[in-house]
Amino acid sequence: MMIEDIFSSRGRVRILRILFEIEELNISEIARRAGLNYTTTNQHLQMLEKAGLIRHKSFGRIRIYRFNEENAKVRVIKDLMAVWEQGSKQT
Amino acid sequence: MSYATVFKDETKLDINYTPSKLQHRNFQLKLLNQYFRHAIETPGKMTQRVIITGKVGTGKTVLTQLFGREITREAQRRNINLRYIHLNCRQNKGSFFLTLQQIVTQFHPTFPKRGYSAEELLQALIQILDTQNVHLIVTLDELESLIQNEGSEPLYKLSRIEETRPKTPRRLSLICILRELDWLNKLDASTRSTLQSNIIQLDAYTKTQLKDILNDRITLAFKPGTTPVETIEFAAELGTEEGGNARYAIELIWRAGKYADTEGDKEVSPEHVRRAVETVYAGIRRDEIAALDLHKKLFLLGISRRFQLTKGAYLSMGEAEEAYTIVCEEFDKKPRGHTQLWKYAKELSNLGIIKAEPSTSGQRGKTTLIGLPHITATNLETELNKILQHAKRG
Repeated sequence: MMIEDIFSSRGRVRILRILFEIEELNISEIARRAGLNYTTTNQHLQMLEKAGLIRHKSFGRIRIYRFNEENAKVRVIKDLMAVWEQGSKQT
Repeated sequence: MSYATVFKDETKLDINYTPSKLQHRNFQLKLLNQYFRHAIETPGKMTQRVIITGKVGTGKTVLTQLFGREITREAQRRNINLRYIHLNCRQNKGSFFLTLQQIVTQFHPTFPKRGYSAEELLQALIQILDTQNVHLIVTLDELESLIQNEGSEPLYKLSRIEETRPKTPRRLSLICILRELDWLNKLDASTRSTLQSNIIQLDAYTKTQLKDILNDRITLAFKPGTTPVETIEFAAELGTEEGGNARYAIELIWRAGKYADTEGDKEVSPEHVRRAVETVYAGIRRDEIAALDLHKKLFLLGISRRFQLTKGAYLSMGEAEEAYTIVCEEFDKKPRGHTQLWKYAKELSNLGIIKAEPSTSGQRGKTTLIGLPHITATNLETELNKILQHAKRG
């Protein structure tokens, strides 16, 4: 998957930011925080999971998502977000 | 701002403080360790269920918390992934769902708050324990509240969950804390039989034991030379009269210290203790009143005001309802109906804040009579006003 496929969507970036801040969360809560509907959130999450950036754990009907820490790209994305957040606070 | 104080560290007198050594509960602590030996010697092979019972202030909570701290430390030393979680069922409103949720959020803090049943949550918990290879000891403090609210089901499910998963490591052990063993009679026979095998009874402390406990805490909490022997003796005496209640004796000595500070005295005298007695209620915990729902507080406020008017020993349910309606008007709240209030009366009675019992002879018809055995109406009103004002200020 190309980098632009991931970052071309505001919704996906928002979801990545939420997981960066909260670490792990279920779909409904991600949708609520991102201001997206459930179906869209689910689609974004599936795509991010397919790209190997996030993973989920199922507890019965509940799915909880978090970053896939084993993926080297995740470390870079998290660094980018940390630097970005820091920069936003300074300006 | 600096001011003189008799205290060195008053947090050592706090209700939530767990001392590193327990006076006069060594035997019970050893017994608990014996019951849970398997958890650190052969983890996963078996689970345990223990009941701890005793009156208010006999050290039930502090004993289990100290045990939890020690066994977790020992497990860590042996590289065993053992967690101890202490929960108060009353603070969880006697709800099985909220109790389980509190356990699960210790492992996954952002676990969703709604959208599933207690059964699903229990399954999720077991799955978490399996995935993280955790052995868990849960203490259910003030279990009465859970039994009253949900009956046998929660305990049955908690104690039998391991049986539904043969050939997997045993992970969930239980410690149940009850004031009275009679509560077990409210459980069905099969639940009772799984729980009843290990019971640790904590007897009321004697005066000498209370003195030892007070001396321990005073050394930690007060500056040297500020608490004369007669003060300790007096507080221990009062604690003994209140059914060997260490919590009461400790709270008395703390409050007496506060009075000494307020008056600029360098020593805590028996007179300060006497003043403290007027504001500490043995059978009732201040946080117990503060944790009540708004309408229960308003109901209690109505009762306390009516008692001051009538001067009688009991109020009828009708009088209590009338007084509550007036209070609701004052607080601009829609009053709850008769059945709800009747439930409140029963719940408050179970908590020991009021006494609600059916009327006997000498009364036309049948009503519930309400009494205030542990606290004066004036003190209850003052306390409630403080709490309600505090809540208003937010």
